[in-house]
Formats: sequence, C-alpha cells, structure tokens
Amino acid sequence: MRSIIRRNLPTYFVALLIILCLNFTLPRMMPGDPLMAIYGEEALVAMTPELRTFLLRSFALDKPMWEQFVAYLYQMSRGNLGFSYYHNAPTLEVILGRLPWTILLIGSALILSTTFGVFLGIESGWRRGKPLDRSLLSGFMALTGFPDFFLGMVFLLVFGVSLALFPLSGSVTPYSGLSGLPLLFDMLRHLMLPVSSLTLTVLREPYILSARAKGLPERVICYRHAGRNSLLPVVTRTGIWLARIITGTLFIEVIFSYPGLGTLTYQALLARDYAVLQGILLVVATVVLLANFSLDLLYARIDPRVRHAH
Amino acid sequence: MRDRSHIHSAICLAILLFFLLPQSIAWTKPLTYTIADTTGDWGYPSPYRRYPRGPGYLRMSFIFDTLTWKNGAGEVVPALAERWEYLGSENAYVFQLNRNAQWHDGAPFTAEDVAFTVQYIRKYPMAWIDPKIIGKALTLGPHTVKFVLSERYAPFLTNIAGTMPIIPRHIWKGVTDPRRFGGEKALVGTGPFRLLDYNKAQGTYLYEANDDYYGGRPKADRIKFIKVSAEMAAAALKRGLVDAASIPPDLAEDMKRADFRVIRAPYGWHLKLVMNHREPPLDVKAFRQALAYAIDRKGLVEITQRGHAMVGNPGFVPPDSPWSNPRVKPYELDLDRARRLLRKLGYEIRDGRLSRDGTSLKLEMLSQPRFKEVGLFLKEQLERLGVETDLRSLEAKTLDSKVLHWRFQLAISGHGGLYEPSFLKRAILEEGFNSVRYWTNRELTQLVMDQLRQMDPAKRKEIVFLLGS
Repeated sequence: MRSIIRRNLPTYFVALLIILCLNFTLPRMMPGDPLMAIYGEEALVAMTPELRTFLLRSFALDKPMWEQFVAYLYQMSRGNLGFSYYHNAPTLEVILGRLPWTILLIGSALILSTTFGVFLGIESGWRRGKPLDRSLLSGFMALTGFPDFFLGMVFLLVFGVSLALFPLSGSVTPYSGLSGLPLLFDMLRHLMLPVSSLTLTVLREPYILSARAKGLPERVICYRHAGRNSLLPVVTRTGIWLARIITGTLFIEVIFSYPGLGTLTYQALLARDYAVLQGILLVVATVVLLANFSLDLLYARIDPRVRHAH
Repeated sequence: MRDRSHIHSAICLAILLFFLLPQSIAWTKPLTYTIADTTGDWGYPSPYRRYPRGPGYLRMSFIFDTLTWKNGAGEVVPALAERWEYLGSENAYVFQLNRNAQWHDGAPFTAEDVAFTVQYIRKYPMAWIDPKIIGKALTLGPHTVKFVLSERYAPFLTNIAGTMPIIPRHIWKGVTDPRRFGGEKALVGTGPFRLLDYNKAQGTYLYEANDDYYGGRPKADRIKFIKVSAEMAAAALKRGLVDAASIPPDLAEDMKRADFRVIRAPYGWHLKLVMNHREPPLDVKAFRQALAYAIDRKGLVEITQRGHAMVGNPGFVPPDSPWSNPRVKPYELDLDRARRLLRKLGYEIRDGRLSRDGTSLKLEMLSQPRFKEVGLFLKEQLERLGVETDLRSLEAKTLDSKVLHWRFQLAISGHGGLYEPSFLKRAILEEGFNSVRYWTNRELTQLVMDQLRQMDPAKRKEIVFLLGS
C-alpha cells in the first residue's frame, strides 16, 4: 500500500498543480481590469479605493507574474479562495454552504447506481440471452441515451407536477418546523427525483461491466465470484463516473432548484462571479482527485494482482 | 351504596377537557403569505449586505423604512416622513417625521437617526445612494429634519428620500465594518416586518409582522420567500405551495381559468436596437432613421413576443409612462420612405441588395441567445429593405463588453429602470454599455441636465416632453 501511495501521490500532486496554474492564469489572461476578471463586475460597483488597494496587495496584482503566483499559492494554502462580491462573502464560505447538498446528491446517486447496476448486471449476466437480460439491456440503453436534464424534466413533470407526489424544488420544505426523523423523511422526499434522474444516467456503466462477468456453474459461487470479478472494473471506472455525475449535477440541480454547487455554478456563470467559478473549479477538481486517489488504494486492496505487483 | 367516585372523576375530567380542548383547537397557525422567487438568495437583508439588485433591496425594505415611498400608482406617499416641504430659496427639503414610528427594539425613532444615516453613508458608501446630493443634514427638532441639497436635484424625493433606508443611530454608531455586520442588531429597523430567518443556501426568507408598525399592522402574520424555478411557478401555485408567483405571460389565461388573480406587471424592461453612431454608415442620422422606418414594431411584438410586450417608441421613455410625450410620432413601418432616405445618401438597389459606389451594404447585428427570435425577425426586416445583415449570437456579458468598447455596428440589448427621467442622463450621457454616450447634440445634453435640476414637476415634464420629441 505504501508503495502505491509513493508511486501515485506525485502524479496527483502534479495534476493539482496544473489545475492551480490554470485557475491562476485564465482570469489574468482576460482583457481589462484584473480585479474585475478575478472578482467579477460586482467588484467594480462595490469597491472603495481602500478595498481596491487591499485586494491588489493580497494577490500581489501590482507585482510581476511570478510574485503573483506565489501570493496566489500562499492564499490558497490558507484557504483564501477570494471574495465573492456578488454574494458579499468569502468564496470558500459560499461554496461550503452548498457543498454538503451536492455531496448528498452525488453520494446517493453514486451508491444507488453502483449497487443497483452491479446487482442487475450480475442477474442479467447470469441470464445472458434470456428475455430479462435483453429487456434490461434495451431498457438501460434507451433510458441512458437521454441527456441528464431531459430525464430530470420528465420526472419533475410526471411525478412533481402531474401526480403531485414529490416536491417541485429545494432540498427541504422551508420553515416546516420539522426536526429529527420527519425532517429526514422530508429531505429524502426532496432528494428522490434528483437522485433518480442522476442515478439513471450512470446506471448503464456498472450494469454493463458487471454483466460481462464470466461465471461458474453454481449460482451462489458464480454470484460471489462473478460479483467480485465485476467489482474490479466497476471500481476502476467509478472515478470516471464521478466526473460524469458531477457534470450531470449542474443540470439536475438547476432543474430541481436544488441548493448545491450546480445551482451555484449556474448563478455564478450568469453573474460572472469569477471568484466563485474559480473556487468551484478548484474544489471540484480537488474532490475528484481525492476520490480517484482513494479508488486507486481501494483497487489495490481488492485486486491481489495489483497489490503483489507493487 | 355504590361507589360513584369514578363517575365524579369522569365528570370532572369532562369539564376540564371542555375548557382545555377548545383552547387547543382554537389555536391557529399564523397567517403566512408565501412568495415564490426564481433566484432565491438575494443576500442578507441588511442595508449593506443585500445584493445590489431590485429583489435584494425589496427583501431589505420589509425591515428598513425610507422617508417616503410610492403607492401602487407610482405617486410619492409618506413613510417615515409624514409630510415635507421644499424651500426653493434654500434648495432644501424639510421633513416632519412620524412620531409613532419606533425601532423594532423599542427605541424611539427621531431626527437624529435620519441625520446619522446621511453621515454614515458618506463614510460608508451604500449601493444606489449618492450622499453628495445632500449638502447638509440638520435636525431642527426631535421629529424635524432638514436636508440642504448641494445642487438642485429633481428626483430627490424618489431617488434619495424614497430609496435611502434609515438606520438606527444607537446601534450603527459603533459599527466600523458594515459589510460584515450581522446578527439581530443589524436587522433592527422601523419596517412593517422583522426577519425571523434567512437561509443563504436554500434561498429562503421568513419575516414576521411588526405589531407596532406606525403604518398599521400588516395583514399577514408572516411572509415567506421560497425558491421555485420559473417553470414550476404555475404548478406550485396550483398545488398551493405558494400564494404568489411570477408566471410566464402565456400562462396568464390558464391561471385565470383556474380562478387565480393575475396581476399584470408594468412593462419595466426596455429592449433596444443599439446603433454604433460613431462608425459609418450609422454615423449619419438619415441612415439610422431609414433603418427605423424599415422595422415593423407591431409585428415584432406579435410574432416574437406573442403579443406580451408593448410596442416601443423613439427615445427612452416607455409609452405607458406619464413622462412619455403623446405628441411624438413613432417610426411607423414605411419601406418606401426608408428607401427614399437611403437613395438620398447615394444607395441604390441591385439584385435586392443596397449598394453604394459598387459596394454592397452589409451590417453586423449582435444578439444574445435569449433574443434569438428578435434577432431573426430584425434580420429579415433589414434584408427586406435591402441591407444584408450578418446576425451573430453572443453571450450577454461578451455582447455588453463589445458595446462598451464600440466594437459593433448593431446590437440587441436592453435594461430596466426607466420610470423616472433621471435615468435619461445614465442612458444618454454616462459611460457604460447601457448608455448610448451621445454627446454631439448640445441641445439634447442641455435638456437632459436641465430636467434633472428643474424642481417644478410641471416644468420638468415639459422638458422631458421636449427631450422625447
């Protein structure tokens, strides 16, 4: 395990550094006031001369580029992702307020898609060529061919508007006075449609991978061994699905008015709140890198060939 | 003898329940009015932390009053000031304040608070308020305040007295960082509501009525703002999740049939075809007029907006504004007149295209994705005239940047804020992508500045009418 960490960690560190460089370079390449490029147009509206001087000094914007980069890395290391003038709050504070909801959404979708995908895939693979296998395969191919936002809109119209079974927006019922278990059920009700939409868009992957597992004659043994065999590519590809889910989250959150990073990104795009956009890029990139690194370690744990090779 | 104690107990219990139950049943939930909002979060509703947008100001205005306000007809009405008087000789306003007003924490509201607010804003600038207009803020008594203006400023009652939220001196005198000031004390105002809760992530606000409000207790016990997307607003209304919501105009009839009261909002947003008057051929007035005569504005509204808009007019004052000059003739569709104007400028039609000196006339028109239909309609209109038009769709801020730096010929752009003529200075003379920055007509420039300084409303209206013509 240590050798895997020693081998992979520098790669991830380099990836993070590249992202930091991109995050640093892009707004400074834009024409016009660098403060506007970094803080957005709201900054010019709200900024006093004293504040302007303070911000210029914080990010060394009046200094050579290399000094700016050092100042930028220093501020990043202190958790200072800048200030959002649109939200009138530190960027990190704005992002952290939304992050838990997105983690809840993504985590639920990832767990559900992996669990159901693997289970259905194994069942289908065991019945290869039979009606269940064919119908499941066709169903998933058809369903996951639709874009994320389309499924989300259909679910919202059918289950939210027409059948009025689920809420139309948000992650909780505002000011309902609920707490404890009723609050949890309320959150689950709000989560149902967004998670379902997001889950279905990535369900195909674990399903197909596990359906390809080659089994042994005995069903129980087959299930155990096929399940274990199919787990390896599923784990490998989870990092890719994670990125897919994150991008899908943007559309799903906007459709369901879900208060996560996706909605925040959309608002920041409209408002040209560059500080928040850069902060989200950094946070999401870091999360994806961490997740992939964790999956590398997990993969080494479950595949003895990888463990022994190192 | 039978033991009747259990009967006695039952009777006592029944009597007890008889008195207790009606009270518990009679308890009613507060009357809560729920309003849907598509954005949700408009900032912490204190004067310095709300987002500098209309809805952000509105959230704050439930808590903090101004000296004057506007009624539904757009007329200036008393708020914290009961009455006022303009002293022309001194260029000053004297406000008599409402003696019944008090702060939410029970402290009395006085003229000191008003004078303090002006001084505070001078030190800590507040969005939308230009304190330089007020030369001096003097307290003439506990409930009398005098503003001596630094210059004549006609929209003072709306743009300053009706916009500046008054903050309590006893709380804010020690606040040196207003943009970070939060907590219960930051939200002590004189307004009809107090804030109970604000959730930034969820984009929700909960207000409760101020029982001691000087203007009378609000009808709703509570007001709640929740986030609902524009597409779901109608469904949320029908499901009873919200009591009020903005809906697309196409759904108005459907909602009326469902027994909802539909209120038509004013036409508060202005869509313009912006012309780069600094660059040929658009630097020639007759050429611009020719394009104006070529556009079927009624068709534009019927086809691209499905009738849910008002036909525009030349100038910036909306046709339904009391400041709009009814005698000004609009540019009616007249292709012949348009072509005559262009022929006088040396253009001739060849193969359906206008050209001059052997060069075809071609213009580039910038648009945004949300105005796609408008762009296509205008392109078709101009090409019918004979002007080959290259329509380019750009993201909104990119388009604004091109307009700001004069890197365009024609652009479809728009903005709001048109119901007080003070906007004319911003829209005609000031720098910014929403301004035409037209300074070559000295008479126009003079009229724009004169209407700002004319304190007599009737005379001011005459100037604005002249501007419109």
